[in-house]
Amino acid sequence: MRIQLNPEKCTGCQICESFCSFKKERMVWPAKSRISVLKWEQEGVFIPFVCQQCERAACYEVCPVGAIARNEKTGAMEIDASRCLGCKMCVTACPFGGVAFDPDQGRAIKCDLCGGDPECVKMCPTGALTFDREEKSALARKRQGAEKLAKYIEAIGR
Amino acid sequence: MRYQGYIGRYLEVDLTTGNIETKPLDEALVEGYLGGNGIGTRFLWDRVPEGVDPLSPENLLIFATGPLNGTLMPNSGRMELIFKSPLTGIYGDSNTGGFLGPELKFAGFDLVIFKGRSPHPVYLWIEDGRAELRDAGHLWGKDTFETEELLQKELRDPGIKVAGIGPAGENLVRYASVQATTTRSFGRSGGGAVMGSKNLKAMAVRGFGPVRIADPERFYAVATRSHFGVRGNDIYPAVSRYGTPGIVAIMNRIGRFPTKNFQLGGYDEVEKISAETLREKHFVRDIACFGCPVGCDKIYRVDDGPHAGLTVRSFEYESIGGFGASLLNPRLDAIMKANDLCDRLGLDVISAGRSISFAMELYQRDILKKEAFDGLDPAWGNMEAVFELLRRIAYKEGIGALLAEGTRRAAAEIGHGADHYAMEVKGQEIAAQDGRAQQSMGLAHATSNRGADHLKGFPTIDETGYPAEARRRYGEKYLPDMADPRSTKHKGFLIKDGEDFAAVVDSVGTCKSGGNFVLAQIYWPDVAEAVRYATGMDVDEDGLKRIGERVYNLQRAYNALHGITRKDDRLPRRFMEEPNYQSTPEGSVCRLEEMLPEYYSLRGWDAENGLPTKSRLRRLGLDDVIERLGPKLKA
Repeated sequence: MRIQLNPEKCTGCQICESFCSFKKERMVWPAKSRISVLKWEQEGVFIPFVCQQCERAACYEVCPVGAIARNEKTGAMEIDASRCLGCKMCVTACPFGGVAFDPDQGRAIKCDLCGGDPECVKMCPTGALTFDREEKSALARKRQGAEKLAKYIEAIGR
Repeated sequence: MRYQGYIGRYLEVDLTTGNIETKPLDEALVEGYLGGNGIGTRFLWDRVPEGVDPLSPENLLIFATGPLNGTLMPNSGRMELIFKSPLTGIYGDSNTGGFLGPELKFAGFDLVIFKGRSPHPVYLWIEDGRAELRDAGHLWGKDTFETEELLQKELRDPGIKVAGIGPAGENLVRYASVQATTTRSFGRSGGGAVMGSKNLKAMAVRGFGPVRIADPERFYAVATRSHFGVRGNDIYPAVSRYGTPGIVAIMNRIGRFPTKNFQLGGYDEVEKISAETLREKHFVRDIACFGCPVGCDKIYRVDDGPHAGLTVRSFEYESIGGFGASLLNPRLDAIMKANDLCDRLGLDVISAGRSISFAMELYQRDILKKEAFDGLDPAWGNMEAVFELLRRIAYKEGIGALLAEGTRRAAAEIGHGADHYAMEVKGQEIAAQDGRAQQSMGLAHATSNRGADHLKGFPTIDETGYPAEARRRYGEKYLPDMADPRSTKHKGFLIKDGEDFAAVVDSVGTCKSGGNFVLAQIYWPDVAEAVRYATGMDVDEDGLKRIGERVYNLQRAYNALHGITRKDDRLPRRFMEEPNYQSTPEGSVCRLEEMLPEYYSLRGWDAENGLPTKSRLRRLGLDDVIERLGPKLKA
């Protein structure tokens, strides 16, 4: 599973960043959050961005010491901190910033899905972040797309 | 500093010399005053004595966060600005939402204090523990939107947060705002003019550090409980969907929607400017301040007509009241245009709207002649004239220069009974909150330390009657009167409790509209827990109440230094003598005198002079106030 992003529902409140960093660092530290909200304030466009746990993960491919591996239970690509060299190859390889380097601890950090119960999803007030089976979320999107058609059919009584 | 939640240090910027100092935040100070509003009040009391002209270099301009800013508590993005007000001449403060407060803490500072006056325009750039003054010659004269855009380009980071003034602040309009990330405002009391008087165009902030928490487990528990409490509150869906404009229709129904400069309590074209119409015609999307699950802010867009293409954010009930009903203008797009002009020019929407409705009423009553308006037709509802008046106010041209002084000063200048139509208390204009239809609101305006204000006492419990909230907060014994807007009984208690609680909420850095007063979900025990676990300070509910009362009394004492007494706790004659017939068929006025004795008695203030008694001040640990106010006080 992965954290699904629904940017059209994001209000830019950054609750996800605060709670993520608190879970991981025991401090409110958005700069260390594994999830980030990219903001275009004037336009009011907000895009939450977090590792999508790629099937062919670049971070995994380039790690020279095999410190990155998939957690078979949660599906998350996890970094083994004890093996991480801090070489930043994964940071460079990820095409959308899903891995970051933490200069204070000298190692790479990324979303690990909180062991299968992601904090950001739990606290997101608008449904901009969801955590569900792929099949269910694809259906949810189809349903959203079909809503107008459903109303139309209901209206003309067919 | 042994307390967490705070960063533990602040900046003091001397604009005269260009010297910037980093100072440690004093432990005893935060124990006594928490932060934000409280600490700012203490600095003002200690360092800006009576006799200091608010627009002189001796005034301070204090940007202040609190211990809960930038934490997990819901809507912890609120920040205070404290100064001596050029509009009222007494204690002044203003509060903004958005992201500026948390960003300042992430950048490594709890407060920024500005003093002195720069010899030329400057801005302060704060980044991750460092600060420097930079030349702002190229920004002077620019509006707030242009200023922010130029700063983001110059500093090469779209994530910087800016607090800045527009032309109105530069030109010392007495109710100029400081805009925080353009559309959010430190609106009230004229902080923008203080900033302009210091030749300070803006403050830009960026930070990547943490806010530390003393007891993570327990703090997490109170924060999540508060989040889910707010999200589960009965009125959460409505507040979240409509924001503050949601009360337009409700206020109109109870005759509490100021129309035609308070000549009426309701507007017959209200449905054209209601939240439903606004949403249907202009809604684009929901946006939120830092850490807020409510997201009462929206983006609205105009698609056709003369203002096609206009987009506004932070478009509130007060704009719709002030530039809609109060001016007899039923065009939402024109209200949005006026709101946009205020944001860009850097004007307080409330005082600007009220100054214009004042001028229009003076024209209606032939006290001001058409010639005074220099080619404009100031007839009710003429929004083209309103747009031009806003511009003239900001640049102090013609009649704009007069209206830029605020309604009290303008009325004194005009004479001929103009003061009867100046809807102000202690020099500050009254928001779209009629004190005749809701008695407690009248009391709130009369006693607020920054002049007319709905947000200090903030009586939401009896606005339209919320017995469940009244019961939850105060128990059975105050009902039914506590929830009855027309009753004066217990309203002294409601306002005193509200003022003390608001002083605390404004000191910790959370939002009064997002859970503390509107959606009255979070109350004394919750805030006490949050402060205790965030900071590690040994403070309980009673301790917190004492802090709130201390802050409020110190503000009153500060005002007493400036000559404020009971005689100033008054309302415009219109509230006291001209009945509002939209509120009740027989017409209602504000029965202020029925409420004040209870209020003074609960405050421990002398009923004759309206000043804190020595015994109450001693109980609050304000012995130095007794010393300084001396002979003015009674035992």
